[in-house]
Amino acid sequence: MATRLQFENSCEIGVFSKLSNAYCLVAIGGSESFYSTFEAELADVIPVVKTSIGGTRIIGRLCAGNKNGLLLPHTTTDQELQHLRNSLPDQVVVQRIEEKLSALGNCIACNDHVALTHPDLVRETEEMVADVLGVEVFRNTIATNALVGSFCALSNRGGLVHPHTSVEDLDELSTLLQVPLVAGTVNRGSEVIGAGMTVNDWTAFCGSDTTATEVSVIESVFKLREAQPSAIVDEMRKSLIDSYV
Amino acid sequence: MPRRPMRHRGLVISRPLTFSQFARQSAARVASVYTAKRQMHIAEVLQKSPPNSAGNKTVKNKLKAKNEQLESSEEEEFDGNVQVDFAFFDPKADDFHGVKTLLQTYLDDKEWDLSGFVGLILEQTTVGSVVKIEDDEDNGIFSLVTTLNLGRYKDQKCMTEINEFLLKVSQKDVIDDLRSLLGKEAHSVGLLVSQRVTNLPPQLLPPLYDGLFNEVSWATEDEPTEELKNSFRFKFYIIITKFYRHKTADQKRKQNVNEEAIIYVKPEDEIFHKLSSWSFEFSLNSPQIAPHELRNYQQTGLVMAVKADKVSTFQQQLQSLIEEP
Repeated sequence: MATRLQFENSCEIGVFSKLSNAYCLVAIGGSESFYSTFEAELADVIPVVKTSIGGTRIIGRLCAGNKNGLLLPHTTTDQELQHLRNSLPDQVVVQRIEEKLSALGNCIACNDHVALTHPDLVRETEEMVADVLGVEVFRNTIATNALVGSFCALSNRGGLVHPHTSVEDLDELSTLLQVPLVAGTVNRGSEVIGAGMTVNDWTAFCGSDTTATEVSVIESVFKLREAQPSAIVDEMRKSLIDSYV
Repeated sequence: MPRRPMRHRGLVISRPLTFSQFARQSAARVASVYTAKRQMHIAEVLQKSPPNSAGNKTVKNKLKAKNEQLESSEEEEFDGNVQVDFAFFDPKADDFHGVKTLLQTYLDDKEWDLSGFVGLILEQTTVGSVVKIEDDEDNGIFSLVTTLNLGRYKDQKCMTEINEFLLKVSQKDVIDDLRSLLGKEAHSVGLLVSQRVTNLPPQLLPPLYDGLFNEVSWATEDEPTEELKNSFRFKFYIIITKFYRHKTADQKRKQNVNEEAIIYVKPEDEIFHKLSSWSFEFSLNSPQIAPHELRNYQQTGLVMAVKADKVSTFQQQLQSLIEEP
Protein backbone atom coordinates (compact mmCIF):
# COMPACT_ATOMS: atom_id res chain seq x y z
CA MET A 1 0.00 0.00 0.00
CA ALA A 2 1.32 3.43 -0.84
CA THR A 3 0.84 6.10 1.81
CA ARG A 4 0.76 9.79 1.01
CA LEU A 5 2.22 12.24 3.51
CA GLN A 6 4.15 15.47 3.89
CA PHE A 7 7.18 16.66 5.79
CA GLU A 8 6.51 20.26 6.84
CA ASN A 9 4.66 21.14 3.63
CA SER A 10 7.32 19.44 1.52
CA CYS A 11 6.35 16.45 -0.56
CA GLU A 12 9.91 15.17 -0.88
CA ILE A 13 9.57 12.13 1.32
CA GLY A 14 12.69 10.44 -0.05
CA VAL A 15 14.76 13.37 1.22
CA PHE A 16 13.64 13.15 4.83
CA SER A 17 13.44 9.39 5.22
CA LYS A 18 15.17 6.15 4.23
CA LEU A 19 13.25 2.90 4.08
CA SER A 20 14.57 -0.63 3.72
CA ASN A 21 13.28 -4.08 4.57
CA ALA A 22 15.03 -4.11 7.94
CA TYR A 23 14.72 -0.56 9.26
CA CYS A 24 13.41 2.89 8.56
CA LEU A 25 15.25 6.17 9.19
CA VAL A 26 13.28 9.35 9.69
CA ALA A 27 14.54 12.93 9.97
CA ILE A 28 14.29 14.84 13.23
CA GLY A 29 12.08 17.91 13.28
CA GLY A 30 9.04 18.16 11.15
CA SER A 31 5.89 17.46 13.04
CA GLU A 32 5.18 14.31 14.98
CA SER A 33 2.67 13.29 12.35
CA PHE A 34 5.47 12.50 9.90
CA TYR A 35 7.10 10.12 12.34
CA SER A 36 3.82 8.64 13.51
CA THR A 37 2.70 7.85 9.95
CA PHE A 38 5.78 5.71 9.54
CA GLU A 39 5.28 4.19 12.97
CA ALA A 40 1.67 3.33 12.18
CA GLU A 41 2.68 1.45 9.04
CA LEU A 42 5.90 -0.14 10.23
CA ALA A 43 6.23 -0.24 14.00
CA ASP A 44 5.33 -3.90 14.45
CA VAL A 45 7.66 -5.07 11.76
CA ILE A 46 10.83 -2.97 11.66
CA PRO A 47 12.39 -0.29 13.87
CA VAL A 48 11.69 3.33 12.93
CA VAL A 49 14.68 5.43 13.98
CA LYS A 50 14.80 9.21 14.22
CA THR A 51 18.17 10.60 13.28
CA SER A 52 20.12 13.35 11.64
CA ILE A 53 23.21 12.99 9.47
CA GLY A 54 25.89 15.60 9.81
CA GLY A 55 23.38 17.69 11.71
CA THR A 56 21.11 17.90 8.69
CA ARG A 57 17.62 16.57 8.04
CA ILE A 58 18.21 15.45 4.47
CA ILE A 59 19.09 11.96 5.62
CA GLY A 60 17.46 10.16 2.71
CA ARG A 61 19.82 11.75 0.21
CA LEU A 62 22.96 11.34 2.29
CA CYS A 63 22.85 7.66 3.13
CA ALA A 64 22.35 4.47 1.16
CA GLY A 65 21.28 1.16 2.62
CA ASN A 66 19.42 -2.09 2.43
CA LYS A 67 18.65 -4.92 4.84
CA ASN A 68 22.31 -5.92 5.03
CA GLY A 69 23.91 -2.58 5.76
CA LEU A 70 23.85 1.18 5.83
CA LEU A 71 26.47 3.48 4.32
CA LEU A 72 26.96 6.91 5.80
CA PRO A 73 28.93 9.87 4.45
CA HIS A 74 32.04 11.23 6.11
CA THR A 75 30.02 14.18 7.42
CA THR A 76 28.22 11.90 9.88
CA THR A 77 29.20 12.73 13.45
CA ASP A 78 30.43 10.10 15.87
CA GLN A 79 27.31 10.48 17.99
CA GLU A 80 25.03 9.93 15.04
CA LEU A 81 27.05 6.91 14.00
CA GLN A 82 26.82 5.43 17.48
CA HIS A 83 23.12 6.20 17.73
CA LEU A 84 22.47 4.38 14.48
CA ARG A 85 24.61 1.42 15.44
CA ASN A 86 22.66 1.14 18.70
CA SER A 87 19.22 1.54 17.21
CA LEU A 88 19.46 -0.66 14.14
CA PRO A 89 19.23 -4.47 14.24
CA ASP A 90 22.56 -6.26 14.77
CA GLN A 91 22.64 -7.83 11.34
CA VAL A 92 22.71 -4.38 9.72
CA VAL A 93 26.32 -3.26 9.26
CA VAL A 94 26.57 0.50 9.72
CA GLN A 95 29.62 1.95 8.02
CA ARG A 96 30.84 5.50 7.53
CA ILE A 97 32.85 5.92 4.34
CA GLU A 98 35.19 8.54 2.97
CA GLU A 99 33.86 9.49 -0.41
CA LYS A 100 34.09 12.84 -2.10
CA LEU A 101 30.57 12.46 -3.47
CA SER A 102 29.09 12.55 -0.02
CA ALA A 103 25.41 12.53 -0.95
CA LEU A 104 25.37 8.75 -1.08
CA GLY A 105 21.60 8.61 -1.42
CA ASN A 106 21.86 10.54 -4.67
CA CYS A 107 24.71 8.45 -6.00
CA ILE A 108 23.63 4.93 -5.07
CA ALA A 109 20.33 3.20 -5.76
CA CYS A 110 20.11 -0.25 -4.27
CA ASN A 111 17.90 -3.08 -3.18
CA ASP A 112 18.94 -6.23 -1.31
CA HIS A 113 20.67 -7.82 -4.31
CA VAL A 114 21.94 -5.23 -6.70
CA ALA A 115 23.07 -1.60 -6.70
CA LEU A 116 23.39 1.09 -9.33
CA THR A 117 26.04 3.68 -8.69
CA HIS A 118 27.20 7.05 -9.98
CA PRO A 119 29.84 6.46 -12.67
CA ASP A 120 32.38 8.66 -10.86
CA LEU A 121 32.34 6.81 -7.58
CA VAL A 122 35.82 5.85 -6.37
CA ARG A 123 36.80 2.18 -6.64
CA GLU A 124 37.13 1.77 -2.85
CA THR A 125 33.63 3.08 -2.37
CA GLU A 126 32.32 0.66 -4.95
CA GLU A 127 33.99 -2.18 -3.06
CA MET A 128 32.52 -0.93 0.21
CA VAL A 129 29.09 -0.87 -1.36
CA ALA A 130 29.52 -4.45 -2.57
CA ASP A 131 30.88 -5.50 0.82
CA VAL A 132 28.66 -3.72 3.32
CA LEU A 133 25.43 -3.91 1.37
CA GLY A 134 26.09 -7.41 0.00
CA VAL A 135 25.13 -6.47 -3.55
CA GLU A 136 26.40 -6.64 -7.07
CA VAL A 137 27.38 -3.15 -8.18
CA PHE A 138 26.80 -1.63 -11.61
CA ARG A 139 28.00 1.79 -12.69
CA ASN A 140 25.36 3.30 -14.91
CA THR A 141 23.39 6.38 -15.71
CA ILE A 142 19.63 6.88 -15.86
CA ALA A 143 18.30 8.97 -18.74
CA THR A 144 21.89 10.28 -19.19
CA ASN A 145 21.82 11.49 -15.61
CA ALA A 146 24.63 10.37 -13.34
CA LEU A 147 22.71 10.77 -10.08
CA VAL A 148 21.14 7.36 -10.20
CA GLY A 149 19.94 7.48 -6.60
CA SER A 150 17.92 10.62 -7.26
CA PHE A 151 16.21 9.48 -10.40
CA CYS A 152 15.05 6.05 -9.45
CA ALA A 153 13.37 4.21 -6.61
CA LEU A 154 14.23 0.55 -6.30
CA SER A 155 12.92 -2.37 -4.29
CA ASN A 156 13.38 -6.13 -4.62
CA ARG A 157 10.18 -6.37 -6.62
CA GLY A 158 10.35 -3.47 -9.04
CA GLY A 159 11.69 -0.07 -9.85
CA LEU A 160 10.45 3.36 -10.95
CA VAL A 161 12.79 5.51 -13.03
CA HIS A 162 13.03 8.97 -14.55
CA PRO A 163 10.21 9.56 -17.04
CA HIS A 164 12.55 10.37 -19.91
CA THR A 165 14.37 7.07 -19.77
CA SER A 166 14.39 5.52 -23.23
CA VAL A 167 12.95 2.10 -23.90
CA GLU A 168 16.39 0.65 -24.65
CA ASP A 169 17.76 2.01 -21.39
CA LEU A 170 14.79 0.60 -19.53
CA ASP A 171 15.41 -2.84 -21.00
CA GLU A 172 19.13 -2.68 -20.26
CA LEU A 173 18.60 -1.58 -16.68
CA SER A 174 15.89 -4.11 -16.15
CA THR A 175 18.24 -6.88 -17.26
CA LEU A 176 20.99 -5.61 -14.98
CA LEU A 177 18.75 -5.18 -11.98
CA GLN A 178 16.61 -8.27 -12.65
CA VAL A 179 13.40 -6.44 -11.69
CA PRO A 180 10.62 -4.95 -13.81
CA LEU A 181 11.10 -1.24 -14.36
CA VAL A 182 8.68 1.50 -15.30
CA ALA A 183 9.39 5.10 -16.27
CA GLY A 184 7.14 7.47 -14.39
CA THR A 185 6.79 10.45 -12.11
CA VAL A 186 5.88 11.13 -8.52
CA ASN A 187 4.49 14.18 -6.68
CA ARG A 188 2.44 15.51 -9.54
CA GLY A 189 4.99 15.30 -12.30
CA SER A 190 8.27 15.57 -10.41
CA GLU A 191 11.06 13.67 -12.18
CA VAL A 192 13.16 13.26 -9.09
CA ILE A 193 11.73 9.92 -8.09
CA GLY A 194 14.32 9.04 -5.46
CA ALA A 195 13.71 12.26 -3.58
CA GLY A 196 9.96 12.14 -3.90
CA MET A 197 9.26 8.70 -2.51
CA THR A 198 10.70 5.82 -0.55
CA VAL A 199 9.81 2.14 -0.85
CA ASN A 200 10.50 -1.35 0.44
CA ASP A 201 9.03 -4.73 -0.38
CA TRP A 202 5.62 -4.22 1.17
CA THR A 203 4.99 -0.51 1.47
CA ALA A 204 5.78 2.85 -0.09
CA PHE A 205 5.58 6.45 1.08
CA CYS A 206 5.16 9.33 -1.34
CA GLY A 207 4.33 13.02 -1.15
CA SER A 208 0.77 14.17 -0.79
CA ASP A 209 0.86 15.86 -4.19
CA THR A 210 1.18 12.46 -5.84
CA THR A 211 -1.79 11.94 -8.13
CA ALA A 212 -3.99 8.86 -8.03
CA THR A 213 -2.53 7.72 -11.36
CA GLU A 214 1.01 7.96 -10.03
CA VAL A 215 0.03 6.05 -6.90
CA SER A 216 -1.53 3.28 -8.94
CA VAL A 217 1.61 3.01 -11.09
CA ILE A 218 3.71 2.82 -7.92
CA GLU A 219 1.49 0.16 -6.40
CA SER A 220 1.55 -1.89 -9.54
CA VAL A 221 5.28 -1.75 -10.36
CA PHE A 222 6.35 -2.41 -6.77
CA LYS A 223 3.62 -5.04 -6.38
CA LEU A 224 2.31 -3.46 -3.21
CA ARG A 225 -1.29 -4.49 -3.59
CA GLU A 226 -0.68 -8.16 -2.93
CA ALA A 227 1.79 -7.29 -0.24
CA GLN A 228 -0.37 -8.03 2.78
CA PRO A 229 -2.32 -11.20 2.14
CA SER A 230 -3.90 -11.24 5.61
CA ALA A 231 -5.54 -7.88 5.00
CA ILE A 232 -6.96 -9.02 1.72
CA VAL A 233 -8.35 -12.20 3.27
CA ASP A 234 -10.03 -10.19 6.03
CA GLU A 235 -11.63 -7.92 3.47
CA MET A 236 -12.94 -10.88 1.55
CA ARG A 237 -14.30 -12.49 4.69
CA LYS A 238 -16.28 -9.37 5.60
CA SER A 239 -17.86 -9.16 2.17
CA LEU A 240 -18.72 -12.85 2.18
CA ILE A 241 -20.53 -12.54 5.50
CA ASP A 242 -22.41 -9.52 4.21
CA SER A 243 -23.64 -11.44 1.25
CA TYR A 244 -25.07 -14.22 3.45
CA VAL A 245 -27.08 -11.70 5.45
CA MET B 1 15.02 64.23 5.02
CA PRO B 2 14.23 60.62 5.88
CA ARG B 3 16.94 58.25 4.81
CA ARG B 4 15.74 55.80 2.24
CA PRO B 5 16.77 52.25 2.98
CA MET B 6 18.29 51.82 -0.43
CA ARG B 7 21.06 49.65 0.87
CA HIS B 8 18.92 46.56 0.87
CA ARG B 9 19.17 46.61 -2.86
CA GLY B 10 22.85 45.92 -2.48
CA LEU B 11 22.23 43.07 -0.10
CA VAL B 12 22.12 40.31 -2.64
CA ILE B 13 21.11 37.36 -0.55
CA SER B 14 23.46 34.67 -1.67
CA ARG B 15 20.84 32.01 -2.20
CA PRO B 16 18.25 32.95 -4.78
CA LEU B 17 15.25 30.74 -4.75
CA THR B 18 15.52 29.02 -8.12
CA PHE B 19 15.03 25.54 -9.38
CA SER B 20 17.46 24.89 -12.15
CA GLN B 21 21.07 25.57 -12.72
CA PHE B 22 20.34 27.81 -15.67
CA ALA B 23 17.89 29.87 -13.72
CA ARG B 24 20.32 30.14 -10.82
CA GLN B 25 23.09 31.35 -13.06
CA SER B 26 20.93 33.82 -14.89
CA ALA B 27 19.33 35.12 -11.72
CA ALA B 28 22.70 35.54 -10.04
CA ARG B 29 24.21 37.21 -13.05
CA VAL B 30 21.30 39.55 -13.52
CA ALA B 31 21.62 40.52 -9.90
CA SER B 32 25.33 41.13 -10.11
CA VAL B 33 24.95 43.12 -13.29
CA TYR B 34 22.19 45.15 -11.71
CA THR B 35 24.12 46.10 -8.64
CA ALA B 36 27.16 46.98 -10.69
CA LYS B 37 25.38 49.06 -13.24
CA ARG B 38 22.75 51.18 -11.58
CA GLN B 39 21.37 52.61 -14.77
CA MET B 40 19.38 49.99 -16.49
CA HIS B 41 17.52 51.57 -19.26
CA ILE B 42 14.14 50.11 -19.82
CA ALA B 43 13.73 50.00 -23.56
CA GLU B 44 10.18 48.88 -24.02
CA VAL B 45 7.20 48.21 -21.95
CA LEU B 46 4.36 46.97 -24.05
CA GLN B 47 1.07 47.79 -22.49
CA LYS B 48 -1.25 44.87 -22.49
CA SER B 49 -4.64 45.15 -24.06
CA PRO B 50 -7.71 44.33 -22.00
CA PRO B 51 -8.54 40.66 -22.15
CA ASN B 52 -11.26 39.50 -24.48
CA SER B 53 -13.94 37.28 -23.14
CA ALA B 54 -12.38 34.21 -24.74
CA GLY B 55 -9.61 34.69 -22.20
CA ASN B 56 -6.96 33.56 -24.62
CA LYS B 57 -4.03 35.62 -23.56
CA THR B 58 -0.58 34.39 -22.74
CA VAL B 59 2.08 37.04 -22.80
CA LYS B 60 0.65 40.10 -21.23
CA ASN B 61 3.51 42.38 -20.59
CA LYS B 62 7.04 42.41 -21.78
CA LEU B 63 9.86 44.13 -20.06
CA LYS B 64 13.12 44.28 -21.87
CA ALA B 65 15.93 45.39 -19.67
CA LYS B 66 18.44 46.70 -22.14
CA ASN B 67 21.58 48.43 -21.22
CA GLU B 68 24.14 49.84 -23.62
CA GLN B 69 26.75 49.68 -20.90
CA LEU B 70 25.82 46.06 -20.31
CA GLU B 71 26.47 45.19 -23.89
CA SER B 72 29.85 46.83 -23.87
CA SER B 73 30.78 45.10 -20.64
CA GLU B 74 29.92 41.77 -22.20
CA GLU B 75 32.71 42.33 -24.64
CA GLU B 76 35.21 43.35 -21.98
CA GLU B 77 34.46 40.87 -19.24
CA PHE B 78 34.87 37.24 -19.96
CA ASP B 79 32.65 35.94 -17.20
CA GLY B 80 29.70 36.97 -19.31
CA ASN B 81 26.77 39.05 -18.14
CA VAL B 82 23.62 37.39 -19.16
CA GLN B 83 20.94 39.48 -20.73
CA VAL B 84 17.62 38.22 -19.58
CA ASP B 85 14.19 38.93 -20.94
CA PHE B 86 11.56 38.56 -18.30
CA ALA B 87 8.02 38.12 -19.45
CA PHE B 88 4.74 38.16 -17.58
CA PHE B 89 2.32 35.32 -18.11
CA ASP B 90 -1.06 34.20 -16.89
CA PRO B 91 -0.82 31.47 -14.30
CA LYS B 92 -1.10 28.02 -15.87
CA ALA B 93 -1.46 24.55 -14.44
CA ASP B 94 2.13 23.75 -15.49
CA ASP B 95 3.43 26.38 -13.11
CA PHE B 96 2.40 24.34 -10.11
CA HIS B 97 5.83 23.32 -8.84
CA GLY B 98 7.43 26.73 -9.32
CA VAL B 99 4.62 28.57 -7.59
CA LYS B 100 4.51 26.04 -4.79
CA THR B 101 8.23 26.48 -4.14
CA LEU B 102 7.81 30.27 -3.95
CA LEU B 103 5.02 29.88 -1.43
CA GLN B 104 6.75 27.29 0.70
CA THR B 105 7.21 29.57 3.71
CA TYR B 106 4.10 31.68 3.17
CA LEU B 107 2.55 30.70 6.49
CA ASP B 108 5.85 30.16 8.30
CA ASP B 109 6.11 26.55 9.44
CA LYS B 110 2.40 25.76 9.60
CA GLU B 111 1.38 22.56 7.84
CA TRP B 112 -1.51 23.49 5.60
CA ASP B 113 -3.09 22.76 2.27
CA LEU B 114 -0.45 24.59 0.24
CA SER B 115 -1.17 22.54 -2.86
CA GLY B 116 -4.81 23.54 -2.72
CA PHE B 117 -3.84 27.19 -2.35
CA VAL B 118 -1.54 26.96 -5.35
CA GLY B 119 -4.37 25.31 -7.26
CA LEU B 120 -6.67 28.27 -6.53
CA ILE B 121 -4.04 30.74 -7.69
CA LEU B 122 -3.45 28.86 -10.93
CA GLU B 123 -7.15 28.51 -11.69
CA GLN B 124 -7.73 32.23 -11.41
CA THR B 125 -6.35 33.24 -14.77
CA THR B 126 -8.14 36.60 -14.93
CA VAL B 127 -6.19 38.17 -12.11
CA GLY B 128 -2.64 37.19 -11.35
CA SER B 129 0.71 36.98 -13.11
CA VAL B 130 3.82 34.88 -13.01
CA VAL B 131 7.20 36.12 -14.17
CA LYS B 132 9.26 33.75 -16.25
CA ILE B 133 12.17 33.99 -18.61
CA GLU B 134 11.10 33.97 -22.20
CA ASP B 135 11.78 30.69 -23.97
CA ASP B 136 13.12 29.06 -20.87
CA GLU B 137 12.94 25.27 -21.17
CA ASP B 138 13.06 24.83 -17.44
CA ASN B 139 9.92 26.87 -16.90
CA GLY B 140 11.28 28.47 -13.76
CA ILE B 141 8.97 30.86 -11.98
CA PHE B 142 10.76 33.97 -10.74
CA SER B 143 7.89 35.84 -9.28
CA LEU B 144 4.21 35.54 -8.60
CA VAL B 145 1.61 38.19 -7.89
CA THR B 146 -2.10 37.68 -7.49
CA THR B 147 -5.11 38.65 -5.42
CA LEU B 148 -7.65 36.17 -4.12
CA ASN B 149 -11.03 37.26 -2.84
CA LEU B 150 -11.43 35.93 0.69
CA GLY B 151 -15.17 35.60 0.44
CA ARG B 152 -15.20 33.81 -2.90
CA TYR B 153 -12.87 31.10 -1.64
CA LYS B 154 -13.84 31.04 2.01
CA ASP B 155 -15.04 27.46 1.92
CA GLN B 156 -11.75 26.17 0.62
CA LYS B 157 -9.65 24.29 3.15
CA CYS B 158 -6.57 26.40 2.45
CA MET B 159 -8.47 29.64 3.08
CA THR B 160 -9.84 28.48 6.41
CA GLU B 161 -6.31 27.47 7.37
CA ILE B 162 -5.00 30.92 6.40
CA ASN B 163 -7.72 32.56 8.50
CA GLU B 164 -6.87 30.31 11.46
CA PHE B 165 -3.21 31.17 11.12
CA LEU B 166 -3.83 34.91 10.94
CA LEU B 167 -6.11 34.88 13.94
CA LYS B 168 -3.63 32.83 15.90
CA VAL B 169 -0.64 35.10 15.30
CA SER B 170 -2.43 38.42 15.47
CA GLN B 171 -2.07 40.95 18.25
CA LYS B 172 -4.91 41.88 20.57
CA ASP B 173 -5.33 45.45 19.37
CA VAL B 174 -6.02 44.53 15.78
CA ILE B 175 -7.71 41.17 16.21
CA ASP B 176 -11.20 42.64 16.00
CA ASP B 177 -10.42 44.46 12.77
CA LEU B 178 -8.86 41.29 11.45
CA ARG B 179 -11.84 39.21 12.43
CA SER B 180 -14.24 41.50 10.68
CA LEU B 181 -12.13 41.52 7.50
CA LEU B 182 -11.96 37.74 7.55
CA GLY B 183 -15.58 37.34 8.50
CA LYS B 184 -18.34 39.67 7.50
CA GLU B 185 -16.26 41.85 5.18
CA ALA B 186 -14.58 38.90 3.48
CA HIS B 187 -16.38 39.39 0.17
CA SER B 188 -14.68 42.74 -0.36
CA VAL B 189 -11.25 41.75 0.89
CA GLY B 190 -8.47 40.53 -1.36
CA LEU B 191 -5.47 38.53 -0.17
CA LEU B 192 -2.61 40.04 -2.11
CA VAL B 193 0.01 37.37 -2.65
CA SER B 194 3.37 38.52 -3.98
CA GLN B 195 6.43 36.31 -3.82
CA ARG B 196 9.61 36.34 -5.79
CA VAL B 197 13.20 35.21 -5.92
CA THR B 198 15.14 37.55 -3.68
CA ASN B 199 17.28 39.24 -6.27
CA LEU B 200 14.73 39.88 -8.98
CA PRO B 201 15.48 43.27 -10.57
CA PRO B 202 13.29 45.90 -8.95
CA GLN B 203 12.42 47.55 -12.26
CA LEU B 204 10.00 44.72 -12.81
CA LEU B 205 7.93 45.75 -9.81
CA PRO B 206 6.03 48.81 -11.10
CA PRO B 207 4.80 47.04 -14.25
CA LEU B 208 4.06 43.92 -12.22
CA TYR B 209 1.85 45.76 -9.76
CA ASP B 210 0.35 48.00 -12.44
CA GLY B 211 -0.57 44.85 -14.31
CA LEU B 212 -2.17 43.34 -11.24
CA PHE B 213 -4.29 46.35 -10.38
CA ASN B 214 -5.28 46.83 -14.01
CA GLU B 215 -6.42 43.22 -14.17
CA VAL B 216 -8.48 43.72 -11.04
CA SER B 217 -10.26 46.70 -12.54
CA TRP B 218 -10.76 44.95 -15.89
CA ALA B 219 -12.15 41.95 -14.10
CA THR B 220 -14.84 44.09 -12.52
CA GLU B 221 -16.06 44.75 -16.06
CA ASP B 222 -15.19 41.62 -17.95
CA GLU B 223 -16.14 38.77 -15.68
CA PRO B 224 -19.13 36.80 -16.95
CA THR B 225 -21.35 36.98 -13.88
CA GLU B 226 -22.36 39.88 -11.63
CA GLU B 227 -21.18 37.92 -8.61
CA LEU B 228 -17.70 37.49 -10.05
CA LYS B 229 -17.54 41.13 -11.07
CA ASN B 230 -18.35 42.16 -7.54
CA SER B 231 -15.79 39.78 -6.15
CA PHE B 232 -13.08 41.99 -7.63
CA ARG B 233 -14.43 45.20 -6.21
CA PHE B 234 -12.02 45.10 -3.31
CA LYS B 235 -12.23 47.52 -0.43
CA PHE B 236 -9.25 46.11 1.41
CA TYR B 237 -6.15 44.13 0.60
CA ILE B 238 -4.49 41.90 3.17
CA ILE B 239 -0.81 41.21 2.72
CA ILE B 240 1.25 38.59 4.54
CA THR B 241 4.96 39.20 4.21
CA LYS B 242 8.32 39.17 6.03
CA PHE B 243 10.89 41.76 6.94
CA TYR B 244 14.00 42.09 9.08
CA ARG B 245 13.93 43.87 12.39
CA HIS B 246 17.10 44.85 14.21
CA LYS B 247 17.80 42.51 17.10
CA THR B 248 19.09 44.94 19.73
CA ALA B 249 16.37 45.63 22.22
CA ASP B 250 18.21 48.57 23.68
CA GLN B 251 18.06 51.25 21.02
CA LYS B 252 19.31 54.05 23.22
CA ARG B 253 22.85 52.88 23.73
CA LYS B 254 23.88 52.42 20.16
CA GLN B 255 23.44 55.38 17.93
CA ASN B 256 22.33 53.23 15.05
CA VAL B 257 23.53 55.54 12.39
CA ASN B 258 24.68 52.74 10.16
CA GLU B 259 22.03 50.21 10.97
CA GLU B 260 18.37 50.73 10.35
CA ALA B 261 15.72 49.38 12.66
CA ILE B 262 13.81 47.71 9.86
CA ILE B 263 14.93 46.31 6.55
CA TYR B 264 12.30 45.30 4.05
CA VAL B 265 13.09 42.36 1.85
CA LYS B 266 10.64 43.60 -0.77
CA PRO B 267 10.74 47.35 -1.45
CA GLU B 268 7.01 47.65 -1.92
CA ASP B 269 6.40 46.36 1.59
CA GLU B 270 7.71 49.61 3.01
CA ILE B 271 5.21 51.60 1.00
CA PHE B 272 2.38 49.27 1.87
CA HIS B 273 3.33 49.45 5.52
CA LYS B 274 3.16 53.23 5.51
CA LEU B 275 -0.17 53.24 3.70
CA SER B 276 -1.71 50.44 5.72
CA SER B 277 -4.75 50.98 7.90
CA TRP B 278 -3.36 48.61 10.46
CA SER B 279 -0.66 45.99 10.67
CA PHE B 280 0.90 43.58 13.10
CA GLU B 281 4.06 41.54 13.36
CA PHE B 282 4.49 37.97 14.35
CA SER B 283 7.57 35.98 15.19
CA LEU B 284 8.66 33.21 12.87
CA ASN B 285 9.37 29.68 14.04
CA SER B 286 11.08 28.37 10.97
CA PRO B 287 14.90 28.27 11.02
CA GLN B 288 16.46 31.42 9.61
CA ILE B 289 19.40 31.46 7.26
CA ALA B 290 20.53 35.04 7.49
CA PRO B 291 23.21 36.34 5.15
CA HIS B 292 26.24 37.86 6.79
CA GLU B 293 25.13 41.46 6.39
CA LEU B 294 21.90 40.72 8.19
CA ARG B 295 23.38 38.89 11.16
CA ASN B 296 22.03 41.49 13.59
CA TYR B 297 18.54 41.21 12.27
CA GLN B 298 15.68 38.93 13.10
CA GLN B 299 13.32 37.91 10.37
CA THR B 300 9.78 38.72 11.42
CA GLY B 301 6.44 38.17 9.81
CA LEU B 302 4.20 41.10 8.95
CA VAL B 303 0.52 41.28 8.15
CA MET B 304 -0.96 44.51 6.78
CA ALA B 305 -4.36 45.68 5.69
CA VAL B 306 -4.34 48.35 3.01
CA LYS B 307 -7.45 50.19 1.82
CA ALA B 308 -8.08 49.68 -1.87
CA ASP B 309 -8.33 53.39 -2.55
CA LYS B 310 -4.68 53.79 -1.52
CA VAL B 311 -3.60 51.73 -4.50
CA SER B 312 -2.89 54.61 -6.86
CA THR B 313 -0.78 56.35 -4.21
CA PHE B 314 1.08 53.09 -3.78
CA GLN B 315 1.72 52.79 -7.49
CA GLN B 316 3.11 56.33 -7.69
CA GLN B 317 5.33 55.88 -4.66
CA LEU B 318 6.60 52.56 -5.96
CA GLN B 319 7.47 54.14 -9.28
CA SER B 320 9.45 56.93 -7.61
CA LEU B 321 11.14 54.53 -5.22
CA ILE B 322 12.39 52.32 -8.01
CA GLU B 323 13.43 55.16 -10.26
CA GLU B 324 15.46 56.82 -7.58
CA PRO B 325 19.17 56.48 -8.40
